[in-house]
Formats: sequence, structure tokens, C-alpha cells
Amino acid sequence: MTVNLMEVRDLTKRFTAPGGPFRKARVMHAVNGVGFDLARGRTIGVVGESGCGKSTLARLILRLIEPTSGTVRFDGDDLLAKSAGEMRKLRARMQMVFQDPYSAIDPRYTVARAVTEPFVVQGRTPDPGEIEALLTMVGLNPGLASSFPHQISGGQKQRVGIARALALRPSLLVLDEPTASLDVSVQAQIVSLLEDLRSELGLTYLFISHDLSLVRYFCDEILVMYLGRVVEALPDTDRPARHPYTRTLMESTFAPDPAMRRVIAPLEGEVPSPFDLPPGCAFADRCPNADALCRTDPPALERRGGHPVACHHPL
Amino acid sequence: MTVLSVRNLQVAFGAVAPLSGVSFDVAKGETLGIVGESGSGKSLTAMAVMGLLPLAGGRITAGSITFDGQELTTLTEKAYRRLRGGRIGLITQNPMTSLDPLQCIGPQVDAVAVLHLGMTAREARARTVEILGTLRIPDPATICDRYPHQMSGGMKQRIVIAMALAADPDVLVADEPTTALDVTVQAQIIRLLDDLVKSRDLALILITHDMSVVAQTCDRVVVMYAGRAVEQGPVGDIFDAPQHPYTQALIGCIPRGLDDGARLTGIAGTVPTVLNYPPGCPFHPRCDRAEEVCASIVPELEPNATGAVACHLPGVAP
Amino acid sequence: MTSMTGTAARMMSGFGNTSLGRAFGSILGKVAGGFLVLLLLTAIFAPWITPFDYAAQNLMNGNQPPGWPHLLGTDQFGRDVLSRVIYGARTSLSVSATAIAISITVGMTLGAAAGYFGGLFERCVMTVVDLTWSFPDILIALIFVAIIGPGLTSTTFAIAIAYLAQFTRLTRAQIVRLKRETFIEATINLGAKPHHILLRHLLPNAIAPVIVVGMLAIGDGIVLEATLGFFGLGAQPPTPSWGAMMSSGTAQLFLSPWVIIFPGVVVAVTVIMVNLFGDELIRALDIRDRIRGA
Repeated sequence: MTVNLMEVRDLTKRFTAPGGPFRKARVMHAVNGVGFDLARGRTIGVVGESGCGKSTLARLILRLIEPTSGTVRFDGDDLLAKSAGEMRKLRARMQMVFQDPYSAIDPRYTVARAVTEPFVVQGRTPDPGEIEALLTMVGLNPGLASSFPHQISGGQKQRVGIARALALRPSLLVLDEPTASLDVSVQAQIVSLLEDLRSELGLTYLFISHDLSLVRYFCDEILVMYLGRVVEALPDTDRPARHPYTRTLMESTFAPDPAMRRVIAPLEGEVPSPFDLPPGCAFADRCPNADALCRTDPPALERRGGHPVACHHPL
Repeated sequence: MTVLSVRNLQVAFGAVAPLSGVSFDVAKGETLGIVGESGSGKSLTAMAVMGLLPLAGGRITAGSITFDGQELTTLTEKAYRRLRGGRIGLITQNPMTSLDPLQCIGPQVDAVAVLHLGMTAREARARTVEILGTLRIPDPATICDRYPHQMSGGMKQRIVIAMALAADPDVLVADEPTTALDVTVQAQIIRLLDDLVKSRDLALILITHDMSVVAQTCDRVVVMYAGRAVEQGPVGDIFDAPQHPYTQALIGCIPRGLDDGARLTGIAGTVPTVLNYPPGCPFHPRCDRAEEVCASIVPELEPNATGAVACHLPGVAP
Repeated sequence: MTSMTGTAARMMSGFGNTSLGRAFGSILGKVAGGFLVLLLLTAIFAPWITPFDYAAQNLMNGNQPPGWPHLLGTDQFGRDVLSRVIYGARTSLSVSATAIAISITVGMTLGAAAGYFGGLFERCVMTVVDLTWSFPDILIALIFVAIIGPGLTSTTFAIAIAYLAQFTRLTRAQIVRLKRETFIEATINLGAKPHHILLRHLLPNAIAPVIVVGMLAIGDGIVLEATLGFFGLGAQPPTPSWGAMMSSGTAQLFLSPWVIIFPGVVVAVTVIMVNLFGDELIRALDIRDRIRGA
């Protein structure tokens, strides 16, 4: 048994928009050379704004999308070398909770049938007690078993999604913005449920979110992504940011305290197009500290006094 | 100076009453936050103020809305049309759909000043360029010839704000203006709105579900739950000494509001929808302070030292 | 007694909660649905309810106007028009329904495979299917007549081919839309095989609009069958078919108009009722957008 449940190296995904008679084919760099280790029982948070590639990364490490290059090792095994059949069996051990609970359950399935499906798919018949135990574990009244998705609330749907993901006793749970489409009071319920499950079942989480304060609250380590790349890997959540982008992200996050109002430094410019990446650092055009080097040489993610950061002039 | 005041507003759609007992005032140079979860009635309140309820099939069944001494609930649609987009501006949640995709930015913003201020096309364009400049949009003259699809979400939201400002309004209603935007862009838009309130002496009604946005921008806050205003007061008091159990619970739901080692719990149960509002206090099924009286009698919004609270058992959390 | 009425009431309310039951909910739905049920029963029990043998000729009694004992009169050979209209319902309904059933089966299979697998396979299937759409229905019928001769088999295949493209496209559109839903990705991530995804999620969610369009197509199929019959490409004498009856009636249009009027009216009313009921079904299933989107 390896220490790291998952080891990701140099993972890259390029999407090609096919050309036509009047258009050249265009290549989009969705995820660009991402690498990290996920130790057993730990929670890594991946944070970034829309279009930074965090959701694509989630699907790449579960091989729901085939990577262009790079390696993913799960429990010591090379995931990308697995056949389709081996992969289907292995999926029982690596599950995902999706952002939109409203479309994550087949509208024609009852709660009970949705939660039974993972067993059916893996060729097993669960006994009724097992389903009831699963529903109870995620805080759902077993009386809801015969309800259809349109009869239950968003928070309850997300609990069904979590029950489905946990049915096969996975080691890894990828959480793709599991609370982003829920109300604040329900969001907190789900986060608290995920915390309980983590300690009860000894789960390892990859938590994807745009909400830096939620990630800081929930995770052990943080990866900050910008335009398909990891720009900073914070080994704990209290460490001060050294990348100018992480710093901006932190300053843009409001504190829920009227006594702590702060002046927000404007971040000029726009995110460059992923179809047309700049030659140097992707953040250079918006960075106050950028110089000629930043515009020509892309900085590598290297340990520069403390923790890994991809910046020529870390703060 | 109070410019808009709402008293005991009640709204009905057929036999359903999704909104009742909403009261608040907003003064010039002040930001009033209306905060609540989905289905709390915060967007309906905005629609009522904008006179847009008839479009959706709703109507005001009780209460009053006064703007600058004028009663709005009895206003004809024609008179409302002069006010709306003129002296009361609206910023909607989704900048992607509030702009005409087939028209350039310039003419869309110009039209507001032409319509409400009676300007000529040339005057209106000069004004548009000036407003875009104050919103820190780079190179405003060329932006006027761009189409919405050529701009980012944050830029489009600035254009929507420019349209709301074009007729020099007294009141600006912003319905979740940053929900569809990324955090860094949200921070800029919020800062921009804050500056506008100060520099133009605007009254801003900011509707949001985000307590942190409220904490950073608002002077006064109305907390809504299940179609009712449950608490209101100055922002400092709402955060430091909330009286209503719902307000207290809502603050406890924000991860960044916690001390080290504290845990998020959420509020048990689910947010009720219009069709299953509970009797009595709408929050009582989820409230750990609830007693018998809470299940039967609706608590009225009672004034206290600095604001008002609608609870039979108000008080700071033990 | 009470328990029996209770059971009956429960069964009724159970039916009322199904989509079909809801389609019967409105007055329009009751009238249109009632007519169609009546027509179906008439077609099934035709031998028992026709007053005369549909093929019995009586040349002495030809071209009789409506009256007693021939309620709708007789044609030039003295055959009872009412009996022939009733038997015609059998021919029209069974040909149209069989054709549409074939069309749906083949169309759904092709459409689902094209939508699910995509790529070159999808392009090939859709090109071939679209080709069938570009031929006039009559031409397709003529091809079949040329190959297997005139008759109901040719008519059935011609109608089936004429509607194939519609069902293939509709199914494909549904599958492509559903494939993007999160629950499909979630089920793939559970380790489900393609056939599980297709049979347990995609097809069950795609079937409702196809059924409704199929229902409406039966109405169109009846018209097409009548058209083919009118041109002598469909049912051969003495088999009664609404189209063939009208065709033979044209010779005596001014002498005995009832021979052509009654089958014509029955075709028109049937098609209107099928469409009305189809609309009620669309409303009951709440799939207006999905049908329009196809």
C-alpha cells in the first residue's frame, strides 16, 4: 500500500475545435502540465475561477476524459494503461459528487433505484437494509426512498448523489463544486456531512471550488489554478500566498464582517484566451510585478523558499 | 434623506401570497442590503419596487411604496414607464441576457438618455462615453462600436450598470449583480457600485444571498425569509448582535465567519417554497428556539433600539 | 359493494395520474380519445356490427341513396357503403399502425445508435435517412409497387419509409441532448457498460416524445394510405379501404355523391381527432419543447 492514493504527473489536455473551409482548426489548452500527490486521508482543494480547467482536471484524473499526455497513478496502478473493462471495475473505488444535483439523478428513477444502481452496475444485488443504511448515513429519511427527484429539495438531491457515490465504498471522492448550486444554509449542511463522512469512512477528497474561503475551511492543501496551470501549491491553509494571482484571489474574497472592510485593489485586464496562450506567464499582463522575463519565459512550478509556486518574482 | 420607503408590502399571484409584511426605507448616499436564500422573496421585492409585477402576473394587495413623496402602488403603467429606467434604475442578475445581442453597445446605452432625458443622439453618445469612462472601462469610444458577444461577463455587467446610470437615477436596484461573475470580477463590480453611491449620492438597494457582500458594502440590512422581512437594522448590529435566530444561523453558515476550530453546521431542514409556507413564524420548523406560540401566530416586525425584528423570542444567541 | 366501488375509484384515479389518463382529462381529450376508442372497437368488431357483407354485390340495387336498409346508400355494384366504411377502418387503421410501428422500431434503433456512437457512423446513418425524406411519399410507394406489386404490403412499407426519417431524427436529438446530462456522466463513473446507459437511461427518457409523434403520424399514415388507395396503389378490390372507395366513387361523383362523401368525412374526422388527442398527450406529458426542438 502506497502512501499516496493518487499521483498525477504532467497531466495535459488539449481540445481541438475542428476547422472548416473558412476557419483554421483551433487548439484549446484546458489543462497544462498539472502534477500533484494526493496522500491517503488528505483533502486537496483545487481553487480557481471559471475556465481555469479545474473541472476538466477532475474528469481527467477519473479518466472520464482521456488526457492528451501525462500520467495518473491510482493506488500505485497506472490508470491510463487500464482496459475499458478494468477501468469499469476500478471506478467503484474512485467516485465523484457533481455540481448540479438537479440533473445528477435520472428524473425517471426513484431515490431507492438511484442508490441501488451502483450495485447493479457492478453486478451485485444489495439487500434492502444496505440501501436504508446508505440513506441514513447521508442524513436522508429512508421514507424518501420511493420519491422521485422532482419531489425532493436540492439539498436532498445532493445527499442522494453522495449516497450513490459512497455505495461502492470508494477510497477517493472527487467533489466538483458540490455546494455551488445550493442555498447557503443547505450548503453548510452538505459541507458538514462531507466532513463527518471523511472521518467516519477514512475517505480521501479532491475538492474543487471557486470559493477560496470554503476551500481554506475544508481542505488540508490547496492548489491554485490559473488558465490550465497550477500557479501555487499551498501545503497548508494558513500559509501566506506567494503568487500575485493567489494574493489577488484572497483579497477579492470578502470577509463576512463589516468591521473588516477593505479597499480592493483593481485587477486590470482580462483572462487571456485558452486558444491563444501568451508565450510567458499567463498572468503577466495583469500582474503589477511583471517584467520582460515574465512575458517571454513561462515560470515552472518550483519550490522557491517554502512551497511550490510558478512565479519568477514570488512575493 | 429617505427617498424610497416601503411599508407592509404584500404581493399575491392568484391565491398564493409569496410576499407579506415587508417594510424598509432607503436614503440617498446609502446602500440597503436585502439578503435571503432562494424563495425568500427578495427578487419579488425588487420587482414590486420596479412596478414589474404585472408582467409576471402578480399584484400588490396591500401596503405602500413611496418614492420622493409619490405613491407608486397606484401609479399607471404609463407613468411608471417614465420612472423606471429614469429615476429608478435596475441592474439585473444576468448580464449575458440583459443586452441585445444584435445591437452595438453604444446605441443601447444612448437610448436611455434619449428616452428619459430628451437628449439628441450626439449628446447622448457624449454622455455614454463619459459614463463608461467613470466605470473604468478602457477606451470607451471604441467599446461603443462593439457587440455584447465580444466582451467578457464583467465588462457586460459594467455596460448594464452604465445603462442603469444613463438617466441619472436617484435609486438603483441591483438584483444579485455579481452572482454570475467570478470572485475577482465580483470584487471590482462591488467596489464600483460602492464608489457610485458615494460620488453620485445614489440610494442603492442591493439584493443578494451573500452575507459577505452585505458585510462589505451595505449600511443597513433587511434579512428576508419565506416571503417576510424577519430582521432589519444597521449592518454592524446585524452582524455583531443579531436578534433573530435565522439571522444568527445564516451568519453561522459562512465558513469564513468562523473562529478557528469552529464547525459549520448549516440549518436543519429545507427552505420552504411558496406552496408550503408553514403557519405562524415561517422559520419555526427549523428554529431551535421555537415554542408553541411560534407555530400559530405570525410575529410582526417590531422596532427595537436600532432596527426591527419579527420574532416572538428575540435576543442574541446564548 | 363499497369496497368494490373503492377499488374501482382507486383504479380510476390511478389511471388519471398516468400521462394517458391526464390526456383524457380535458373535454377535448375526452371527445377525441372517445372517438378513437370507438373507432378502434369498430375496426376490431367489424364482422359483428356490419349490417351487410362488405363484398356482396347486387347490381340491381346499385347507386341507392342513403336510406333504409342501406343507411349510407350503396355503390355502383350495390355494395353497402356503411359496411365498407366500417371494414375500411380495419384496413386503414391496421395498415397505418403497422407501418408506424415498423417506422418507430427501425427509426428509434437507428437514431439511438447514431446519437450514442456519433462520429462517422452517425453521419452515414443520417445521410441515408435524410435521403428517404427527400423522396416524395408517392414515389417511394411506386418503387415498392414496382418491386412487390400493388397491395397493402407495398402501402405499409411505403408509409413506414416515409416516416422513418422523422423518428430517427427525433430519437437522435433526444439521445444527443440526454447524453450531456450529468446523470449520464455520473452513471458512466459508476462503471456502467454502454448497454446499461443506453437501455436504462437514454432510451427510457427519450421514448415519450417518440410515442406522441408516432400517435400523430398514425393520423398522417391514414391519409397517406387513403391517397395510395385512391391512386390504386394500395388495397386491391374487393378489400375495402377508404382511399380506394373514394377512388371508385369518382366515376359516379354527380350521380351518387354519398359513395365518396362518407369515406372522405371519416378520413377527415379521424385525422382531426388523432391530432387533437396527440396535442392533449403532448400537454399531459409536458414535452412541447422537446418535440419542437427535434
